[in-house]
Parts: sequence; structure tokens; C-alpha cells
Amino acid sequence: VAVSEVASVGQASRREEPLRGRLLVATRGALLVLGVAAGVALIVIPASRVPLAGHPADFVLVIALGWSFIGCGLIVWQRWPIAGPGALMVGVGFVWFAARLALVSGWSPLFTGGMWLSDLWPALFTVFIVSFPRATPKSRGGWLLAAPFLFVLVPLEFVWLLFFDPGSGSPANELLVWDKPAVASALDLTQRVILLAASLVLAAALARRWLTATAARRVSLTPVLVGACAVLLSSSLAVQARYGATPHWLQLVVLAAWALVPAAVLVDVLRARLARSAVSDLVVELSANPAPAVLRDALARALGDPKLRLAFWLPEFRTYAGPDGLRIDLEPAPDQEITVVERGRRPVAALVHDAALRSQPELLDGVVAAAGIALENARLQSELRAQMAELRASRARLVEAGDSARRRLERNLHDGAQQRLVALSVALGLAESKIANNPEAAAALLCSARADLAVGLEELREIARGLHPAILSRGLEVALEGLVDRSPVPVELKVELDGRSSEQVEAAAYYVVAEALTNVARYADAAAAQVTVHAEPESLRVQVVDDGVGGAIVAPGSGLQGLRDRVEAIGGHLDLQSPVGGGTRLTSYLPWTERDPE
Amino acid sequence: MPTLLIVDDHACFRAIARTALGERFRVVGEAADGAHAVALARELRPEVVLLDVQLPDTDGFTVAADLAAQDHPPVVVLTSSCDRSDFAPLLRQSRVRGFIEKERLSADALADLLG
Repeated sequence: VAVSEVASVGQASRREEPLRGRLLVATRGALLVLGVAAGVALIVIPASRVPLAGHPADFVLVIALGWSFIGCGLIVWQRWPIAGPGALMVGVGFVWFAARLALVSGWSPLFTGGMWLSDLWPALFTVFIVSFPRATPKSRGGWLLAAPFLFVLVPLEFVWLLFFDPGSGSPANELLVWDKPAVASALDLTQRVILLAASLVLAAALARRWLTATAARRVSLTPVLVGACAVLLSSSLAVQARYGATPHWLQLVVLAAWALVPAAVLVDVLRARLARSAVSDLVVELSANPAPAVLRDALARALGDPKLRLAFWLPEFRTYAGPDGLRIDLEPAPDQEITVVERGRRPVAALVHDAALRSQPELLDGVVAAAGIALENARLQSELRAQMAELRASRARLVEAGDSARRRLERNLHDGAQQRLVALSVALGLAESKIANNPEAAAALLCSARADLAVGLEELREIARGLHPAILSRGLEVALEGLVDRSPVPVELKVELDGRSSEQVEAAAYYVVAEALTNVARYADAAAAQVTVHAEPESLRVQVVDDGVGGAIVAPGSGLQGLRDRVEAIGGHLDLQSPVGGGTRLTSYLPWTERDPE
Repeated sequence: MPTLLIVDDHACFRAIARTALGERFRVVGEAADGAHAVALARELRPEVVLLDVQLPDTDGFTVAADLAAQDHPPVVVLTSSCDRSDFAPLLRQSRVRGFIEKERLSADALADLLG
């Protein structure tokens, strides 16, 4: 499987890319500066005002944690811009620093916000680990895991702040409405207990996910599992702290574990392990359900691009089509790009994907390679459906062509020969009644009746020839000579045949020439035409070339469409080349079938 | 002689009918389609209308109904190059005087039908 970009379509989106890319680079640069500044600010603010100043290690870890999330998050963001966890990691880091800075600001509104933010942090961290390796949880289960944290740390925290008085040694709680230490304490205990329960569920769920994952995936999931265990430890310590002192070193372990999670994720991204785990997920998914209908969704999940479009190349129809065989327009949106999947230098499918995936070639290549067989199968199915649809349509057209030919015939018979015969009958009756009394008038009537009869007979011959050229029984060459003779445009006829093909094939060859010469006479404005019939090893090649104005197309409902249906119905193939101003070349290849012995 | 309007979309049939029927009928007009036939009948008030069943814009039965609704309805005789059996149910329902196959058309046959 080879991957290549379609230069012509890819370039349009590439021209759009730099602006968006530069904006992102500028944003990330600004965030880096801001992150460094936040850490430095915490360092330079007098340590006495930092609440976690019990131990120098605390302080080091607080700074390390924030920088770890922001720094690693920025790199992950750059390397994995589409639906990756980078931006979320940066956000988690900034909330961490913002909470600490607000707590030490000494200004009571900021301090109040800081109390709230510092407890919001675990909720964001939980969203990060349940979403990993995506930016948001991929299922409702993920949101359910994060929900208790969000509930306890957003609305419940707000209620707690209404009752909590931090005491005289610190800035005031601006949200304090009722100074009821008992209520605040009960709320606080409730929060801690709920968090402990939710942490247990979270750690269990992540442990289960780790245990059921593929080996490649386990490596990626290990850091977040460690992070979840640290959340559980932290929650246990929080409950235990209500009843007595907790070992300080365990707090340090929690902080250290959290600070290491982003670094581990970064290593994973840099080693493209995440790409591999997405690919191995895809392999598992496709082996469980290789149906073409779900292929797009599986690829979209693996690539993290929900807007991904997938189309299959159908060489017979010279178009891209969906899994249903219906034609698809590949036109990429401004921020999209097209990647063509090839097999043996022949296009199989095209992915219209987010342009940013270009920065993750290992993911794109891996996903395309993993889906190789599934893509080929889906392409075959798409082709089959397109062929079936085409077959149905051509069958319907053949029936319709037969019906309309019969209608035309009925019309011609009714308006032509039948009317002439009717008039003749009346004239003969009239002549009969006059023959005794007025023989001259009767003779005149009979004379004009005979002239009418001659016209009627010619009309009947014309219709019979249209029904089936009787002369075909004398051989294709003789029949074609008849067509050439009647053509108003001079035609050079060349027939190289030994033996005769089946009636079906000869009739098709005859109609190809008849329709082509009719078109030459009607539309081509040609000075001359050539008709060549040539026996090839497996087929009969019938070609009609003129030097006219060209520009012919196989329009729906046209004679050429009917001709193509007729030729394809017997397994042949019709090719039309008619550049405007360059003459028309109609070639049909009819499968040679032996004539039944008579 | 009774006045006659001939309605048929084939000029060659109208010509021979005019010749064949001219001996016993005064042909006052010819129409090639249903709309023209109804207009001419209103204008010329022929006593008899020889009406082809298959017309380009409508069919003879519809025209016959329109003619029957006029102030001075003419006697209508339908004709066709198709066989009587093709229209038997419609012929029974319509209030036309009769039907003549085209090839049997003559002045005598039409006069016999009118009685």
C-alpha cells in the first residue's frame, strides 16, 4: 500500500495552510511565555505567603507540575494537532498555576477564585485522563466517570464557599453568606467522601481498560492509570485528613505522580506510540467488523477526524464513489486535504481529511496500511454496487428503447402505409361504382390509386428495413454496402472478415454503422467518412470515423445511448471520441461469437 | 344534399373522402384536429360530421361529446382505420350515429347509416 497526495487538489488547501499554521505557532509561543511567567511569579512571591510551604519539595513539585503540563502539552499539541490532548494539557497546567497565584495574591476576590480553582483542578485532570488519548471522552462512559468530580468540584464547591470562613489569617471569602462552620464542615466531608468513591470507580475503570488493551495500547495507557491511582491516593488522604494527620511524603508522591503524567504522554507522542495504538485499535476493530459500511467511521475514529470522507476509485466509471457505489465529489474544504491510497500504482481510495493530519504522517500511513485489505474490499463492493446500478439502468433503458421503437413503428405504420391502403380502398370502391356509367373517371381513379400504392409499398419497405435489415442474412458486408450506398455523405467501406459471427453480433455491428452514419448525415457536417470492420482475435472491431465538427456526446435518451446499451448487452464496449472541431470516431468492440450452423 | 364536415389528420384521406362522398353530400369544411373540428362545427353548423377516432390533440369520442353539447348538434359518424372491435365498449357508450371502417367508406355507406 502506498500513500500519495494528489498534487492538483492538495495544493489548493496547502495555500490556505500557512496563515492558520502561523496563528497556531504564535498562540503556542504566547502560551509558553505566559506559562513560564506564571511559574516564575510563584517563585518570586515570598514563600511565606504560599500555603504549601511546609517543605521545599512541595514548592518544587508545585512549580514542576504546572510547567510539566504546560510545556509537555504545548509539544503534544504541536505534534498531534487534531483532536489530541495537547490543548487540554496546557489548560490543566494553567488552571493549576492560576489557582496557586490567586491563593497567594492576598486580594480577597482573587483569593476566593483561587480556592474554587484549586479544587477545580482534579476535575479537569480527571477529564484529561478519561479522554486520553483524545481531547474529550469518546463515549458516555467517559463522561460518567468524570461527572462526579465535575459535580462535587463545581456546583457543590460553590455551595460550600457560601458557608466557609477561611479564618482571620487569610484574605476574606467573598462568597461567604452564612458563616456556619458546621454546615461548611458537613459539606466538606460529603465532598471528600463522594470524591473518594468516584476515585475508586475511576481507578478501577482505567485499570480495566488497561487490562483489556492491546500491548501497544497498554504502554500508552500506563501514565494515565498511574495518574488515576494518584487521584485515588489523594482522595484517600483528603478523607483521612479529616480525622488526623497524614504522612506528608504521600502528598509528595501524589504531586510527583501527577507531574510525571504529562512527561510520559509526551514521550509516547514523540515515539509515535499513540499512532501505533490507534492503528492497533483499528486493526482490532476491523477484524471484529470488517463491513465497508463502518469503515469510514472506524478510520475517522483512528485518525481523530470526524469530518473524514472516504471515496473509492472506480476505474470503469472514471469516478470516485461512496460505499453505496454512488458518485462522490471529492472537493476538499479549505482546511482539508486529499490523500490517495494506492495499491500497485493503481488508486484504491481517497481520504479527504483535516490538513493538520499532515504533521502526523506516521498515523496516516499506519491507519491506511492497517485498513488496506478493508479498503480494497470496500472498493470492490462499491464497484459492484455501481455496476449493478448501471446494469439496472441499462436494462430499463433497453426495455424503454424497445417500447419506444414499437410506438414509433405503430405510428409510422398507422400514418403511412395504413392510411395509403385505406385511401386506396375507398378510391377502388369509388372506381368500381363508376366503371359502368363513367369509365373515364374510373380509369383516372385507378391510375392515381396505382401511384399511391407504389408510395405505400416504398414506405412499407422502409419500415421493414428498420425492423430488421433482411439483407443481413446475406452477410454483414453486403448489408453495410447497402447502408453506405444510401448515405448522403461519401463513405469509404473496409471490411476484413473471414467467416461470419452470430446474428446478434452482426446485427449490433450493423446498427452501430447505421446509427453512426445517420449521425454523420444529420449533425457532423462532414465531407467524408470511413467505416472499418476488422476481425480481431477475440472481438469484432467496428469503427466509423468522420471529418466533421465533432462534439458528439452520449446523451441520456440519445441514439448513441441506445447503441451503447445494445452493445454492452451482448458484452461489447463502445468508445466515442469526438473533440469539438476534430471529427468523430466511434469504435465498438463486439465479442466474437461463432454463428450457429444453419 | 346534407352538409358534411370531414375531420381527419391525414390529408390524403380527407382528399379521397371529399371525392368519394361529394356525390351525395355537400362538403362544407375539413378539420385536421379536434379543436379545429369543434370550432368549425360551431361556425358552419354542418348536418353531418365524419369524425376520425385517432386525432393528434384528442380522440373522436371526446370531440363527439363536445359536438353533442352544441346548440345545433350535428349527427356524428365515427371512422377509423382500426377495427370496430378496438372501440366496441366506447362506441356503445357514446351517442354517435354510427361507425364506418375507413376502407369501407363510400357515399352510399354513409347515407345508409344516416337513414
